[in-house]
Amino acid sequence: MIINRLEFMHRAQIDQQTLEIWLREEWLLPNEMVTDMEFSEVDLARAIFILDLKERLGVNDDGVGVILHLVDQVHGLRRLLGGLLTQKPAA
Amino acid sequence: MKDPYETLGVARTATSAEIRKAYRKLAKTLHPDLNPGNAEAEERFKGLSAANEILSDPEKRKRFDAGEIDASGTERPRQPYYKDYAGNNAGANPYENTSGFSDFSGADDIFAEMFRRQGRQSRRMRGHDLNYSLTVDFLDAINGAKKRISLPDGGSLDLTIPAGIEDNKVLRLRGKGAPGGGQGEAGDALVTITVGAHAFFVRKGDDIHLDLPVTIGEAALGARLKVPTPSGAVMVSVPKGSNTGSVLRLKGKGIAHGGIHGDQLVTLRVMLPNKADAALEGFLATWTPEPEYNPRKDMQP
Repeated sequence: MIINRLEFMHRAQIDQQTLEIWLREEWLLPNEMVTDMEFSEVDLARAIFILDLKERLGVNDDGVGVILHLVDQVHGLRRLLGGLLTQKPAA
Repeated sequence: MKDPYETLGVARTATSAEIRKAYRKLAKTLHPDLNPGNAEAEERFKGLSAANEILSDPEKRKRFDAGEIDASGTERPRQPYYKDYAGNNAGANPYENTSGFSDFSGADDIFAEMFRRQGRQSRRMRGHDLNYSLTVDFLDAINGAKKRISLPDGGSLDLTIPAGIEDNKVLRLRGKGAPGGGQGEAGDALVTITVGAHAFFVRKGDDIHLDLPVTIGEAALGARLKVPTPSGAVMVSVPKGSNTGSVLRLKGKGIAHGGIHGDQLVTLRVMLPNKADAALEGFLATWTPEPEYNPRKDMQP
């Protein structure tokens, strides 16, 4: 589902300034259209994760960047391994 | 549900700072997004959140200590976790990356192939806009035209020049820029249009201006003349007694765009013959103009 910028800020409960910082840090990568940005449910769940890191776990901004990078790699590895496990053996 | 003090591993006398510290310490190891695929961690995090819900709120903690509420019913509705999206549907997660495993990519094996396939998905970045420039003829800019731009990579771009386009206007071709990364859409091509000059037409706003040379006879006696316009020549009546600087307005012969039609303004320019004309000279030598014929009468000191 496509979420526009205003709806995204409302659902993630973040303000414009926060969003701009997160975009600048490339923590979020929405589709940048000519007139607006398009966010997805993945972006929203990621925003909630970032909020959890900052507010519930007390991680500072530098730490958030490091954690996201590592988590993204973990998901990359998980998908690779998942693909390996489901791949049919060569005949 | 377990006793919240026990869940957090703090004494019943713990201060709120100690509770917060204990919660954070456990949450760092149990947060579901830091433990993708670990269902046990997710379950424990749920219990941890519920315990924290009670003990981090002094009012709730007091009521719990007094036995007025128990630990059940405090669980929040489950929030969407990033891992649920990040781990689903191949290619659906634009953030995922495998850069930490690029040292495997040289190997000629199944793992390397999977790595390469994965790498191609990369991030969902919109492609860059690419800038081009195009010079169009004056008349093509007035009347509109179809043009093709050859690109450095051997490709081409077809574009429609809208009638009446102004100098320095930028045409945007959606999706004709650099390709996007992963699922990202392509950027746009931005084409800056330069309008060439014309030998005798000049554009001012929506009007076309033209200086029309006429003979002394055409100006003095009047005439029907063929006058060029951007959409083809038309016949125009020059009134008797016209002069240099007289302006004829050709309605609707200017720029047409969005239902608006400019005009063409024709400024007459009376021209004497280039070569001496004996008959004209003879006539003028004997001609006595009316006394009011004094073109400099407004210039008297």
